[in-house]
Amino acid sequence: MKPEPNVTPCVVADQISESQALPLALQVRDLSLTIDGQSLLRDVTLNVPLRGVTTLIGPSGAGKSSLLRCLNRLHENWQGEVAIDGVNVRQWPGGVDVLRRHAGLIGQKPCVFPTTIAANVMFGLPRLQRKRRAVLEQCLRQAALWDEVKDRLQSPAMSLSLGQQQRLCIARALAVQPKLLMLDEPTASLDPRSKQLIEQTMCELAQTIPVICVTHDLDQAQRLGGQVVFMCDGKVIEAATCASFFNSPQRIESREFLRWSVCDC
Amino acid sequence: MLRAWLYASTLTALLAVLAVFGFLLHASWPLLAEQGVAFVAEPEWFPYEDLFGLLPVLIGSGWVVLLALLIALPCAVAAAVLNAELLPPRMRAGLRFVMALMASVPSVVYGLIGLWLLLPLLESQFDLLTGRSLLAAGGLLALMILPTLMLLSEEAIAKVSAEQRDAALALGFDWTRMLSRVLLPQAWPGIRLALLLSLGRAMGETVAVMLVVGSLDRLPQPLYNLLQPAQTLTSRIGREMAEASLGTVHWAALMSSGLALALAAVLISLLAQRGRAHEI
Repeated sequence: MKPEPNVTPCVVADQISESQALPLALQVRDLSLTIDGQSLLRDVTLNVPLRGVTTLIGPSGAGKSSLLRCLNRLHENWQGEVAIDGVNVRQWPGGVDVLRRHAGLIGQKPCVFPTTIAANVMFGLPRLQRKRRAVLEQCLRQAALWDEVKDRLQSPAMSLSLGQQQRLCIARALAVQPKLLMLDEPTASLDPRSKQLIEQTMCELAQTIPVICVTHDLDQAQRLGGQVVFMCDGKVIEAATCASFFNSPQRIESREFLRWSVCDC
Repeated sequence: MLRAWLYASTLTALLAVLAVFGFLLHASWPLLAEQGVAFVAEPEWFPYEDLFGLLPVLIGSGWVVLLALLIALPCAVAAAVLNAELLPPRMRAGLRFVMALMASVPSVVYGLIGLWLLLPLLESQFDLLTGRSLLAAGGLLALMILPTLMLLSEEAIAKVSAEQRDAALALGFDWTRMLSRVLLPQAWPGIRLALLLSLGRAMGETVAVMLVVGSLDRLPQPLYNLLQPAQTLTSRIGREMAEASLGTVHWAALMSSGLALALAAVLISLLAQRGRAHEI
């Protein structure tokens, strides 16, 4: 019979935050999610500092994407506590729509609306603000897309390459001025150049706001730095600074994952 | 071999369409040769005096179709949104079944329902001598095109991908805003196709319209009076075809009504294509 792996709740994230003495942008306590009888998240506890990148890594089905969808309440039926900037997301002032503008989420597959590039960027803004050229330019610059599209802002967004479309999605999310940005495998199936541009964008954004990025690419997690959270089977196995996690992982599951990209927990 | 068969099938279909127009033009020729195309704008239709004005039926058909669409489109889209987005799966299946059932009911049955229910209702509500009117025909046609319009619109709304919905929600859209800015705009090509198909049915419907429109070959007085009996292209053809002798000018005039109907259908189809090209 296979021995039960050691799955004690992770408290390293707290230690990191305390040691870094940075205020917290996001606090997750004992978050559990069950959908159709299947447990997707189990007692997830996690802290995200006010600035910097937090990378969620782990095998497929670990619950990384589900965790992001709980944070902005795209999944609603979870138990536990989630606070962004100290405010419980269940009692978010203005309701769930305001919360989702506060905590932007970008999906794995680039999803542009069938309209122009400019209209896509401004899509989430109220009608009167959609004509502001300065906002448009600023968001496209932040997403490292301005130079490539400045001469064809009225072209269909669908005419862009996948990498450009993903950066357009980032620009669109930035237009509503989120205070926390979550990206779910934003560079999956993109070419190296697009990947590099998106990573660069994330690092620049992380200087001012917290960025949470789900990735399967361990090299990318190392490049992004910041905090690494290793998840498996709906649980947080280990959370540590990037250097600490990759150089001296504390948990045997983490070491196995780093060595063989599998987790047996 | 397969390629030859495909070419032959396509060519046959194309020739069939051309043949229909050729036949209608040929059959209308005696009237066209005698009166030119001026009869299209004439207001009088008295076959025994060689007066074959198409204006009353063109106006009648236009009003009936417009009324049907104005009544059916909002109802169908509302029902489609409700079914695609809000109802639980079991009720959704139930509503779809009912709509499919409504679509399969023969048009003469709708006509009888119109005679039995709609006409007395209009008579009592508007204090009319007869409920037979443009309003009755438009209302009945609305009921007939509603199922097709609703079912196709619902499919179009349901086809909007989950990613698009998630992207809209992630931007902080509430359901109303997602509906107006994402779901309906993206479903519009499908809804427009449904509209086109329904328009075709509304324009071509004969028996049900004939039973309730009143078959009066006269322009409504005033033109927007929808409570008067009137005539449509199809109801005139349906009512008089058996009375006209083959080869007479009267017969040619009825054929020219058919030609006008076919040309109107082509015009609508071209306009729809043009709208689509602009959208792309």
